[in-house]
Amino acid sequence: MGKDLISGLGDGARSNRRAAKVAESQYRMVRFENVGMRYGVGPEVLSDIDFSLKPGSFHFLTGPSGAGKTSLLRLMYLAHRPSRGRIGMFGRNITKLKRRALPALRRRIGVVFQDFRLLDHLTALENVALPLRIAGARKDEIEKHVSELLDWVGLEKQIHARPPTLSDGEKQRVAIARAVIGRPSLLLADEPTGNIDPDQGLRILRLFDELNKIGTTVLIATHDRGLVSRFGRPELHLEEGALTFRPGLVADVPNETAKGAPTTPEPAATPKASTAKTA
Amino acid sequence: MAQKYDLFFRQAASGRFVPLIIGAMVYLAALALAGSMAIGQVIETWSEDLRGTLTVQIPAGDPAAGGASAQINSALSILLETPGVDWAEPVPVDDINSLLRPWFGEAGVPDDLPLPALIEVQLLPGAELDAAKLGQHLDQAVPDAILFDNGAWLQHLVRFARSVQWVAGIVVALVGGTAIAIIVFATRAGLSVHRRTIELLHTIGAKDGYIARQFQYHSLRLGFAGGILGLAIATVTLIVLAILAEQAGAGMLPKMSLTWEHLIVLGILPVASALIATLTARAIVMRALREMP
Ligand SMILES: Nc1ncnc2c1ncn2[C@@H]1O[C@H](COP(=O)(O)OP(=O)(O)O)[C@@H](O)[C@H]1O
Ligand SMILES: [Mg+2]
Repeated sequence: MGKDLISGLGDGARSNRRAAKVAESQYRMVRFENVGMRYGVGPEVLSDIDFSLKPGSFHFLTGPSGAGKTSLLRLMYLAHRPSRGRIGMFGRNITKLKRRALPALRRRIGVVFQDFRLLDHLTALENVALPLRIAGARKDEIEKHVSELLDWVGLEKQIHARPPTLSDGEKQRVAIARAVIGRPSLLLADEPTGNIDPDQGLRILRLFDELNKIGTTVLIATHDRGLVSRFGRPELHLEEGALTFRPGLVADVPNETAKGAPTTPEPAATPKASTAKTA
Repeated sequence: MAQKYDLFFRQAASGRFVPLIIGAMVYLAALALAGSMAIGQVIETWSEDLRGTLTVQIPAGDPAAGGASAQINSALSILLETPGVDWAEPVPVDDINSLLRPWFGEAGVPDDLPLPALIEVQLLPGAELDAAKLGQHLDQAVPDAILFDNGAWLQHLVRFARSVQWVAGIVVALVGGTAIAIIVFATRAGLSVHRRTIELLHTIGAKDGYIARQFQYHSLRLGFAGGILGLAIATVTLIVLAILAEQAGAGMLPKMSLTWEHLIVLGILPVASALIATLTARAIVMRALREMP
């Protein structure tokens, strides 16, 4: 049964929904147990972190600057190893994984950064294609997927533009297309709207919302209170090293709304509480 | 769609700097190798000519008393009786004159210059001969006759030439080591400049080998460009040296030349520098990536 879940998740976002039901309580997309993290020999920037994310859930990760949001995300996108505790992802204990096994796991995680991290000398198309190219996908397959995605983020006219000629909002949409081109089951975003104006920020959050509706698990770090209250999703709040769960202001059941209106930008979320529990 | 190896280096600063240094290194290596191979060639030619030969010098006789012909004859008979000697013949006067011509110029050797006579002796292949004993023997029969053991002289010359070749080898090794050090520094600099891009590539699922190939390919191009540059300048240098040697007088300098095999060895230098650059970059990058999460 655990195997089924893992291969199901690997098939991409659509099957996540099915997996979500299977996984309901026993299996988790992300599960942190007593996790501690430090940079080098410095002090712990995260201590005793305990929480889990259900497949198909949507959370904000909030907290003041320096609280450790970026650090927590880095643990999740496997850019940093915890100094203690246990992290499970997709039902696997990643604290015990060999380096060799990481690329395959990373391909199931999409990441969006505050500073976009696009390669300036590549076109929008090439930037979005990068994960597929790295995975060795066929050229015609790449082109088709990439232009579809650029359509979806509203950049069909800027396919051949290079990042320096794009606005920040456009850059972030290219970055989102790149993050989801591999159909990840987990999407992590670190202050994705931090560098762009509020209108564009809203547009970007709607993209995340659409992805969530087709089953992608979403976690967005932000300190933008306005955005959080507007979307009414549950929060994981980090402050002084402690993580607390705050239910969203609007009650919702994401998996059911998803069936009805896959592209509605209207926020409608929050799983049946206790998706995350406090440390 | 873009090329396969374009993630970091479409406009890298190391693009001009590193090939220049590699070029200088390949230039030095090419000259050291060419020198070493030319010396090897000279040794071989001389060895072929002189292996198993002796030369006997008989002092010039009084022309009034018929020159040195009596001494030559008695020396010849002693030589021909010596076991191991294949043949012994006086060197014709014309040959001696032509050997001396470079020192006297076009006017030629003055007729009244008393020249010693030379006898060339060829030993049977593999013959062992006690040169000192034969020398004593000759000296008793023909006072002031001198025996030159060309084999012994050749051995000293070969030993000298071999040590020159060793020095050339050390130069090539040092130059190779320096080139590797330059590639190491350039690659480390590249790793640190592109740290964030590397992290991004890891994040989107790149394997270490994929990232390393980006660096390798860049390094390969720098190494090859440097190699071609160095070899081109070395070729010009060697041609100029060859022309100058020709003009200095072929008779005074031992004939130095490079064979086709030698030219192929020199031609391999850019390939070698490209290969070294590639492997060095790969080793450095793979090691650095292994330290990353
Ligand atoms: N690379 C790093 N090396 C050392 N300390 C770091 C590093 N990155 C972040 N920190 C420290 O970790 C703590 C949490 O930082 P961060 O995760 O960036 O917080 P946030 O994203 O919530 O602003 C801060 O005290 C910060 O100084
Ligand atoms: Mg941060």
